[in-house]
Amino acid sequence: MTNRRIEHHPVLGDLDAKSTVTFQFDGRTYEGREDDTIASALLASGVRTLRKHEESGNPRGIYCNIGHCYECRVIVNDVPNVRACLTPIENGMIVESGKVQPSPLHPENEGPLPRTYAEYRKWEEKQNE
Amino acid sequence: MTDIIICRCEEVTLGDLQETAKKYKCSARELKLRTRAGMGICGGRTCRPAVDKVLMDATKENPTDAIPLKVAPPVRPIVLSKLGGVADDK
Amino acid sequence: MSKQHDVVIIGAGPAGLSAAIELRKNELNVVVLDEFPRPGGRLLGQLHEEPTGEWWNGIKESNKLLAEAERLEANIQCEVSVHHIEKVTDGFSVHTSKGLHHAKNVLIATGAAESAAPIPGWTLPGVMSIGAAQVMTNVHRVKVGEKGVIVGVNVLSAAIARELQLAGTDIHSMALPVENIVSENESNPKKVMERLVRIAHLAPSAFIKFGSKFAKAEFVRNLALRFYPRGGIKMWGMPIHLRKAIKQINGTDKVESVTFVNVTPDGDIIEGTEETVECDFVCIAGGLYPLAELAAVIGCPFQYSTELGGHVPVHNEAMETPVDGIYVAGNITGIESAKVARDQGTVAGISIAKALKEDESLNGKLLEAMETVRATRAAATIQFHPHIDEGRAKVSAAYEQL
Repeated sequence: MTNRRIEHHPVLGDLDAKSTVTFQFDGRTYEGREDDTIASALLASGVRTLRKHEESGNPRGIYCNIGHCYECRVIVNDVPNVRACLTPIENGMIVESGKVQPSPLHPENEGPLPRTYAEYRKWEEKQNE
Repeated sequence: MTDIIICRCEEVTLGDLQETAKKYKCSARELKLRTRAGMGICGGRTCRPAVDKVLMDATKENPTDAIPLKVAPPVRPIVLSKLGGVADDK
Repeated sequence: MSKQHDVVIIGAGPAGLSAAIELRKNELNVVVLDEFPRPGGRLLGQLHEEPTGEWWNGIKESNKLLAEAERLEANIQCEVSVHHIEKVTDGFSVHTSKGLHHAKNVLIATGAAESAAPIPGWTLPGVMSIGAAQVMTNVHRVKVGEKGVIVGVNVLSAAIARELQLAGTDIHSMALPVENIVSENESNPKKVMERLVRIAHLAPSAFIKFGSKFAKAEFVRNLALRFYPRGGIKMWGMPIHLRKAIKQINGTDKVESVTFVNVTPDGDIIEGTEETVECDFVCIAGGLYPLAELAAVIGCPFQYSTELGGHVPVHNEAMETPVDGIYVAGNITGIESAKVARDQGTVAGISIAKALKEDESLNGKLLEAMETVRATRAAATIQFHPHIDEGRAKVSAAYEQL
């Protein structure tokens, strides 16, 4: 796995030791430093793509890295729209990338999701079986 | 060139903006409403200066002191439950 | 669950922290809110050499401010996003992702955001704003890639290009984006040349140092552009191109290469001169603009000033806005250096303290602090815009008229 960590720097000095944090991204395990954000830990391991655009499916990664653009939004422990660039990693964190969403403009993408309340009740019962 | 995405959130291209501005001779607000530029999750933070420029070029008007596009709260996405909404009707 | 304070400060950058320090010295109750996981704002990532040879180390400078703020027991809360400010009977209600805060006064010190300079392919993973590269490199200590290209030649991108090099990141070159409606100022070689002379003193290259003395005259700049080397002029060993521009960024799932094309001094493409360069990251530098959304929400009027970076909330030298109880400080007032932001924060702190305590004896300190801002501005080594003073005068005049 790539390691892009800047251990030594001619002016900023050497990185001080920090404890390792382990988390998951899209089912794979990654390690980072205690003070990493989700975005920096993933980039240090060579991961750039954080989500697919909800409509087009185009791959997206960080753009502004300071919480303004929301391009880095990921799902953290089931909570969506969390900015990877602002969120420190924690042990056991489960992070998922955003996928393409169903759209009335692209009915072929819809899949088996229910479209009316009646269908939803049937679908819910099936889930609970 | 017209294929360049200007509003990243909604994937609105330069061509979309220029054609709409020309066809409807509209204000910034109307351009936003018609194309969705500036209405994505980032609230226009990334594309606002670019959209303003396209409009300035289309209308040949200089920027005024007032902000072309109104800024409405919430300026960060917030879940309804935090705004006081109830999570579940059950 | 809401908390009551004398002042809520939005933004824990140099302006917000300096204001907090002054307010705490005056024994006022403050809370500083910031959405980034640590305080320091964009000062954290800064790193450049001053003409004296000393390093301006943003992490060290932030730590100085932070230490003082903590010594004075300022309440600083990170990872908090502010989404609304509302006028209520006895002041303001500040709505955040972690609850409400109430205060008689609010200081909006939210800094700046980056303007985009869109070119084809700029949404690919691996393309990021120049500020993103600074934060990733100096704050998170992660290399943004193996080899990259910087699109947009200006004071900020030159400074950050140097920072990337210092961290061992290979920069192939810096170039302008091919001209389009949106990036007009950043893609026209003549306009860029005009601005380059202001960072000339940072360049070890003899050519630029020599040239900058004559570059005040437009015809000289035009000559310089006509004879500008095809291979670019090197600054810190890195070519800066003004006669080659970047047409597009290529790749399927992430950045794989960029396409250069030769351009005339006016920025027009010379057909058939395309050249592909492999790289794995691209930084876009379109300039900064004041991030004043919260000022707009609370009803602050604006003044447009290209010198200051765009729409600026109207304010006076004491950092007061026409909205009673709302103050601004830092880059939200106009794009300048961190030192100016810090000194403006000090002014805002004293200004608010004077108003809240109804203490006229603070007037002397206030005037002194305002003079410090002017002195810091005059002594600036890096100027983002040559006519900052004019911009400031415009805004002050707008305040007086209201």
